[in-house]
Amino acid sequence: MISRIHYPFLQCLPLLVASIAAICLTACDQAQPVSYQIPKEERADTIPTVAAATTQETSAPSKMNVLPGMQQAANAAGEVDFITPDGWENLVASGIRKANLKVTADTGSAEITILTFPGDVGGHLANINRWRGQVGLEAATVEDLPTYTTDYDISGHRGLYVRLEGESQSILGALLPFHGSTWFVKMLGDTTTVLANEASMKQFLDSIQLEDHAH
Amino acid sequence: MQALLQFFASLRLTVILLALSMVLIFFGTLAQVETGIWKTQKDYFESVLAIWAYPEAWIAYDQLYWLRIPMPGGYLLGGMLLINLVAAHVTRFTLTAKKAGIFLIHIGLILLLISELLTDVLSEESQMPVDEGASSNYSQEYRDNELVLIDRMHADFDTVHSIPIALLKPGKTVAVPESPLTIRTISYYPNAQIGRAQEGAAPVESPANQGVAVKMNVVVTPSAVTYAENQINTATAYVEVLGPEGSLGIWLVSNVIDDRFPPQMVTLGEQSWEIVLRLKRHYYPFEVELVDFSHEKYPGTEIPFNYSSEVMVRHSDTTKNQKALIYMNHPLRYEGLTFYQASFANDDRTSIFQVVRNPGWILPYVSVLLMGVGMLVQFGMHFFKFLKKRASV
Repeated sequence: MISRIHYPFLQCLPLLVASIAAICLTACDQAQPVSYQIPKEERADTIPTVAAATTQETSAPSKMNVLPGMQQAANAAGEVDFITPDGWENLVASGIRKANLKVTADTGSAEITILTFPGDVGGHLANINRWRGQVGLEAATVEDLPTYTTDYDISGHRGLYVRLEGESQSILGALLPFHGSTWFVKMLGDTTTVLANEASMKQFLDSIQLEDHAH
Repeated sequence: MQALLQFFASLRLTVILLALSMVLIFFGTLAQVETGIWKTQKDYFESVLAIWAYPEAWIAYDQLYWLRIPMPGGYLLGGMLLINLVAAHVTRFTLTAKKAGIFLIHIGLILLLISELLTDVLSEESQMPVDEGASSNYSQEYRDNELVLIDRMHADFDTVHSIPIALLKPGKTVAVPESPLTIRTISYYPNAQIGRAQEGAAPVESPANQGVAVKMNVVVTPSAVTYAENQINTATAYVEVLGPEGSLGIWLVSNVIDDRFPPQMVTLGEQSWEIVLRLKRHYYPFEVELVDFSHEKYPGTEIPFNYSSEVMVRHSDTTKNQKALIYMNHPLRYEGLTFYQASFANDDRTSIFQVVRNPGWILPYVSVLLMGVGMLVQFGMHFFKFLKKRASV
């Protein structure tokens, strides 16, 4: 014989559980700004290199592309070899930069970078005008090009040497179409320093050797 | 009131709700093909109302593009089922020893429904990529971003001031906690293309007067938000930083402008902060070191047979240090977190862990246990009754 027992508490249990859940949910409000301390981080070194976007498609989402396509292109491009001119400092190249150098003088400093991108990146005129903008010069037309560019051979390929003299900042650079991509070598910085290093820049350009799979 | 209770407690309602659940699952499965699992889950199962649209890829889309089918979403159905079950208990069930089994099963079911909701609301998922031989003390989300100002002035630690991305609303200001700074959002783009100005593109006019945007002539072209599983939205914003005496400048911040770029610094007097928009990070009081990652393939193929990570966890409290091997279906549970082997990268030199914090993880186990015991009791009772009856014949 089964007796009928009443458990008032148990009877209410489902109701109780449901109301606790409801309270939990309403307690969650929107995230607020916070401050916290973390162990000293060395910038750039602590981030695992999973950022290299070449693995992006095969792996789960882990890191996004840097300026879409740029990082892949930089990774896919071959390596570059060069001799650092006297007085120049060879810094660590990172990200999309293939090389990163610096020259410091009393008059000011200048930075020398090597980058590469697929295609012609808009063509010589567009790129030179971009550089002109960086040193405060107005955009030029295609007719003006010969006044500040000359043909220049780098790593056995015909490139273009560019000389842009701005008021406080100047650029000495080279554009090199190379098997479907374009290499950019650029010294940007204080006008006096940049112009004083023109011989070193040409020496640097002459020393550049690009990894060449096409020959 | 009585009638309302009767309605919510009715078995007919249960059947209708279960039928609608099947409809929801069916259309949710169709939608998953179009939008991927994450968005489908949000749209269909973590919502009150779901609307199915005729897929573009299907035949006769040109004629049927207008077709929409609204249906109750997962929260509505789950919530109604919960109310239904609770109401049934209140009106119809009286707890007797005879019905103890059914009671346990129902409690288990209620707990399961609640735990599902708790998981949706409270659980956090993020990723921790670690290089072989290196270690990491944080994981990062891949859908949520944060704007941080990092103060690196102290010799022993860095101070991170974090502002959730949801607070970056154009025109609104947010005070940066424990600092004299205020952020005013000029504009925010959940996804964008960022790059040098190019022909054909239509970038937004840059209001920036500081940092990368000016130095590198970087412009922003807003783009549609993606929900694809292997893509990350490029969250981007123009923000103005205000000091006590007014504007310190306008910066372009984006989760692609990261360590590969020169730091963007905000300076006020002697103090300076690095300003970064990045995937939201969770820092831990321990470090996970990847000792070795191994990736075995079936001989002569590229098909993975097994991949596993040998890790050493170093806690600031050294008694909690732990060695572990993480592989498929064998996660590491540590400090309320679960580390799953999720992926790998960098020619097998980087292992990627899925880090899950789910405070309600135990509930489904408890509920299944309750239901199991309930069934044992219920069927056992019938069984013994049957045996007794047979013996007495």
